[in-house]
Amino acid sequence: MFSALPMKHINIKVLTDDLPSASVILAGLNSFSPDNRPYEESALPSIPGQDFRELYNQAKTRFDKIASLVDFTPAPFDGDVTPISEEQLAASNQWLGKAWETGSDFEERQRNLIESYRNIDQLKATLANFSNLTIDLGQLQQEQPFLDTLIGMVPTLRLSQLKDALSLDGYLLFPFLQGEKESHVVIVGAKQPGPSRLKSMLDTAGFRSQDIPPELHSSPETAKARLDERRTATERSEKELNEAIQKWRGEVLSDLERVARTLHLATPYMALGEAARQSGELSRLQGWVPARDLPRVTLALKEKLLDPFVLESRDPLPEERALVPSVMRHNRLLKPFSQLVMQYGVPRYGEVNPTHLFALTYILMFGMMFGDVGHGAVILGVSIWMRRKLGGFTPFGIAAGISSMLFGILYGSIFGFEHLFHPLWIAPLSDPLYMLGVALMWGIGFIFLASLLNIFNHLMQGDRLGALFGDNGLLSLSLYSGLLGTGYSLYANGSVGGLWATLAILSLVGIFAHKLIEQEAPIGERLLVAFIETFETITGYASNTLSFLRVAAFSLNHVALAIAVFTLAGMMGQTGHWITVVLGNVFILVLEGLIVAIQVLRLEFYEGFSRFYAGDGKAFKPLTL
Amino acid sequence: MSAQRNHAYLKTRVSIYASRLVSPDDVERLKQMSLRQLGETYDLLPIFEQEITTRQKSGLVEQALIQQLMDELLVLLRPLSGHARGLLLYWPRKYELYNLKTLIRGKLHHLPMQEIRHNLYALPENIRLPHESLLQAENVLEMLRLLEQGPYSLIARQARLVFEEHHENFSLGAAIDRLYYTGMLARANMTDSKDTRGLKKAIGSMIDRQNILWMMRYRLVYHFAPSEAYYLLIPYGGQIQRNNLLELANLESLETIIDHLPEPFQSLLMGVAHITEVRQRLDRWVAHELHKLMRNSQDAVVSALCYLMIRDMDIWRLYAIFQSKLLEMDASLLHEAVPGTDDHSAVSHEEVA
Repeated sequence: MFSALPMKHINIKVLTDDLPSASVILAGLNSFSPDNRPYEESALPSIPGQDFRELYNQAKTRFDKIASLVDFTPAPFDGDVTPISEEQLAASNQWLGKAWETGSDFEERQRNLIESYRNIDQLKATLANFSNLTIDLGQLQQEQPFLDTLIGMVPTLRLSQLKDALSLDGYLLFPFLQGEKESHVVIVGAKQPGPSRLKSMLDTAGFRSQDIPPELHSSPETAKARLDERRTATERSEKELNEAIQKWRGEVLSDLERVARTLHLATPYMALGEAARQSGELSRLQGWVPARDLPRVTLALKEKLLDPFVLESRDPLPEERALVPSVMRHNRLLKPFSQLVMQYGVPRYGEVNPTHLFALTYILMFGMMFGDVGHGAVILGVSIWMRRKLGGFTPFGIAAGISSMLFGILYGSIFGFEHLFHPLWIAPLSDPLYMLGVALMWGIGFIFLASLLNIFNHLMQGDRLGALFGDNGLLSLSLYSGLLGTGYSLYANGSVGGLWATLAILSLVGIFAHKLIEQEAPIGERLLVAFIETFETITGYASNTLSFLRVAAFSLNHVALAIAVFTLAGMMGQTGHWITVVLGNVFILVLEGLIVAIQVLRLEFYEGFSRFYAGDGKAFKPLTL
Repeated sequence: MSAQRNHAYLKTRVSIYASRLVSPDDVERLKQMSLRQLGETYDLLPIFEQEITTRQKSGLVEQALIQQLMDELLVLLRPLSGHARGLLLYWPRKYELYNLKTLIRGKLHHLPMQEIRHNLYALPENIRLPHESLLQAENVLEMLRLLEQGPYSLIARQARLVFEEHHENFSLGAAIDRLYYTGMLARANMTDSKDTRGLKKAIGSMIDRQNILWMMRYRLVYHFAPSEAYYLLIPYGGQIQRNNLLELANLESLETIIDHLPEPFQSLLMGVAHITEVRQRLDRWVAHELHKLMRNSQDAVVSALCYLMIRDMDIWRLYAIFQSKLLEMDASLLHEAVPGTDDHSAVSHEEVA
């Protein structure tokens, strides 16, 4: 419950022909994660299914392209789970190849239509531009005895270099319409004897000649009307093309469904990757399975695999801990909290899974910082009302709302009204120092717990030295206790308690000595680093403890904001009063609620998780169907 | 404080790496070595012990050498952030653009996917661009459509022209090279460098080399018209600017081009008889300039960039030596491709590839 599920490393020896079946059976169980580390490379020299994988990748790419073109989403998989042979996959790939030939042709036609639209727009822009020029457009297109004249488009970025280049051949370039990417230009120059260099030059420059259509030779109104006709014709072509694509979609739909199913069933074998190795007729497959699922895996293979197989399992080796995937199964209520924990990191195998602790402390701190029966009820109500939209996060909202309501009862606060009912515990603003003291005690308890978890984690990983001397280890904790005891003694009795002070000093010396020994540097550098790191340990504990004062600060802030709202409301008339109260509450609810939610997360991650949670584990990614 | 620490780290790293650069004497020594000795020296022996074809071995050597370069790049990137990091990260983009060139040409010439893939540089993930979709394109038109949608739309236009006109006119390669150097200069301008002059000098010297060489090739070997030759060049070099290029493009012999080059190129290239020699002398000059900048620049980023450029030259010299041993080439041929102490120029990737 408080750590990832115990895992087993398994290896399954099967006949190579049975490997696709084995992969599909394992995928159906959702309990097997392939282990891709190289193993027994000399005994099992090859990796099976390389051709299968190549085929799969090509087929999947083709399928995705077709699906995107015809807007096809495969129906959820439902049917017999049967392995896919290489021949079946090849046949599907071949069909997809042929289908994509048609699809690619459709795509090219779509592109040409876009190009047509662009041309029409450009011609319209040209027309608008030419209307200011006193040029006979027809003249520009005609063959001239002594002049080369061209109209077209070139990349804008290269315009000045093209102008320079053309000047070398005695041509002039006039841009008359400059766009971001392309510019419309007129090129004029004396006709040159012999083969024209211009064509080759312009090809190199990516010049696209723009034929001035006859319609532009006429009056601007007629020209515009003709361009509109061309646009209508292009739109008609687009409609026809879309209809053709839809018709084709209808023709290939059943085949696409079939191929989607084939690809779906081929995925597990493809996903085995290098977890399977082969020597002739025999193959071996290795991976991780949750220990409690092992009997189910064995039974499924026994029932469904036709030929004999050998399944061996063992516990993870100590040196494998970093590689073992962590499986965490939480109920619906804890899922949203688990997702927030995952934002920090996946627990390392064997490490304490902090989800339960996180859920409990998060909800408690949220309530303490945002205690108000009314606001809590709104959060609760909104969470239930929007449960479909919130999905898995609904329990998070409900829990936060209930906690806020409970603390509201303890604080005697409802929608910022502090005197409507008597607080079960205390009205925060009635004794701020008491509230700060409570927050401090909460913080000390939280840090203590985090440090104890850190020691436990180190012990679980077999790192006794880390548990004793490491950051947030036993020695650090005793230093923290010593400092707290000394501080309290000073506060309560006016003198440093001898026992606490001795504990603090001894711990400090121990930490310093350890840091001095673990460094690998000249003695001067060692002393400096050890001093700074030891000092950091003290300041870290102090600042993290004080950080928890915000728990009380926000509870006070909540009341202070409510007072501000009521003061403003008091300046208004009857209607204004209630409008201000309502709007003020909405403001408190949204803004302060959000800030508190973030601040609690910060306390959890920064003051808590950073002390004990490495979060560098591997997520369990099983073969799935 | 942090900036000073980063500067010191980078400078120290560059100094350590620079001590491992291949000197002309090293080149001579390496040329005398057997393939086995070379493999031992550069930890590449396992490649030669595999039972694979010579072509595969050559590919693996190339990959391993580039990987060494990329590993060093990643170390140099550690203390950098912002535009300086962007500049250094942009530098290896040239390999990605070579890949793009290979990919487009491969598709235009209908080469099988495996063949194209084999000729692509294997680059680290954080530098590699997602070319897989281009590779998976099943025909030229599909690839062009994909190119048109991405950041290479200008290149797609040149590629479509090549495809539709059925002839390749260097515009594609030139467009890709230009794209690279323009991007490099844009990043250099954005970088808040303490040695802007040095930074621009480093990039400018590479552009000058490229411009002089290709100007000579376009005009004297391929006999392009001045306008076309000029258009294919990059008009913002270090010491050869737009006006020089316009003037040079109109010239018609190696001697007159050299006579009209600004200093130091005129003196540097005086008396050369063919373009190969021009390349060798230019490479030597570039290497010299980069070495000077690497040692003397006040800005550690400039030193790091220069180091990477020199190291890149080294990698290709080493690769040429490995390849000559793999193919059992004649020593004189190797000497021609990779001159040693008497003429310590560097072979560039374009000659090796």
